[in-house]
Amino acid sequence: MIRFEHVSKVYGNGVKGLDDVTLDIEQGEFVAIIGLSGAGKSTLIRAVNRMHGITEGTLTVDGVSVGELRGRELRKFRRKIGMIFQSFNLITRTTVINNVLTSRVPELPWWRSLLGIYRREDKIAALEALDQVGILDKAYSRVDQLSGGQQQRVALARTLAQNPSIILADEPVAALDPVTAKQVMDDFRRINREMKITVIINIHHVDLALEYADRVIGIRSGQIVYDGPADQVSGEVLASIYNGKEYGKMEDAG
Amino acid sequence: MRRGRTITLPNGKTVERPPSHALLTAVLLAAAAAVSVQVTGFRLSVLTEGGYRFFDILKQMVPPNISYLDKVWGPLFDTIKMSVLGSAAGAVLAVPFSVTASSNIVKNRAVISAVRIFYSIVRTLPTLVTALIATYIFGLGTLAGTIAIGVFTFSYVGKLLYEQIETVDMGAYEAMEALGATGFHAFLYSVVPQILPGYISNCLFCFEGNVRYAAILGYVGAGGLGLIINEKVGWREYDKVGMILITLFGAVVVIEFISHQIRKRLT
Repeated sequence: MIRFEHVSKVYGNGVKGLDDVTLDIEQGEFVAIIGLSGAGKSTLIRAVNRMHGITEGTLTVDGVSVGELRGRELRKFRRKIGMIFQSFNLITRTTVINNVLTSRVPELPWWRSLLGIYRREDKIAALEALDQVGILDKAYSRVDQLSGGQQQRVALARTLAQNPSIILADEPVAALDPVTAKQVMDDFRRINREMKITVIINIHHVDLALEYADRVIGIRSGQIVYDGPADQVSGEVLASIYNGKEYGKMEDAG
Repeated sequence: MRRGRTITLPNGKTVERPPSHALLTAVLLAAAAAVSVQVTGFRLSVLTEGGYRFFDILKQMVPPNISYLDKVWGPLFDTIKMSVLGSAAGAVLAVPFSVTASSNIVKNRAVISAVRIFYSIVRTLPTLVTALIATYIFGLGTLAGTIAIGVFTFSYVGKLLYEQIETVDMGAYEAMEALGATGFHAFLYSVVPQILPGYISNCLFCFEGNVRYAAILGYVGAGGLGLIINEKVGWREYDKVGMILITLFGAVVVIEFISHQIRKRLT
């Protein structure tokens, strides 16, 4: 379980990323976080695995206070949290399987990690992860030869190969076309349902958020302005999340 | 200096073109050239009057003294050994320094500046001077030449390397940190694959140049071909100098060809 208690984050330049956020996310939930760019979606998601620190309040994951973790403990904690990025963050000039295998590096003996010699069990785990996202046949292709949707699946496989209990996804489909975006969202749903992995997604596509997530969290200027089931998100709710501008007319508002 | 110009479209909208600096640049360049002619005392008459002597010496180099070739191999391989060893040592030593000089890896500004200033100082040292100093410390011979080549390679490859590290895509590094890898592992697995081809290419390019540099280091007693070039020029045995130069030319062509072929295959 992820628990935010009165969490705030003030950046060095005085900007408030998060403002008194309190919320619980149970194991196995599928949560979409929506809001304008700069509202604090990214800060919220990155606080969970401490890619961004918080300045006030407490944040616990399965009873562990995230803010107090240091060095080795922090790295061990991050092992069970997967992360997916908007721009995939893969090593493009090497093969798909090499990318997936990087998630096993922290568990290798030091001499293996130095030489990049993986164990058989690591390779099997990597290939199984690729099979789960349906691109096993691409295992030995170079990443820069794949389409965007395939690359995001490689990133997903990399995350699965570390056996996470939580997956954080920061705008995972923003760089993809609508059809591919749906396929990747289907992957997230399947992983969430079959493996009981908690999925927390930052997303700009409100229609996708409402279609796939069980629960929607709306954030505005660092504050939670909506937290409830996806099927109860109304036009009014969206208007309040998007600074009072009615969703769908935002192009006019610029 | 030209003033900016306004371009008007048929529908009445206008675009301001920024002023061009080309004329000003040309005037400044011409002025700089004039000043440098003054300062260096360059006179065309010296070239026209004395220039033919250059060709006199060249003429004496042909035909080269083929029988002297046997005595050229030793110094030639000394020169190549100095370049290979010096280039390899300098290039390897540059890696930890360049990582420390990269602002995307090290966050401490003071450390970065210190390493970069150190690089600048080392780069300022002319290789011939380094070789001369090295002969005082390590004695005459190829060791001094190797060290001079190493120092130059260190500063040259080092600068290119940290500039390369800084242009790397840090996405994969971030991803590895997020999955619990140490900074070292993240660097090894996400940055190294991106910089390795360019690094090897730079090392080979530097090595090509080093073979030519190493050939003159003998002038200050640091071993190799320069030693016998200096000697034979002094004795005015230009046919032997011609033989040395032809051998060096052949060696450089072969090395550059091989190096170029390898670099072409690095992507």
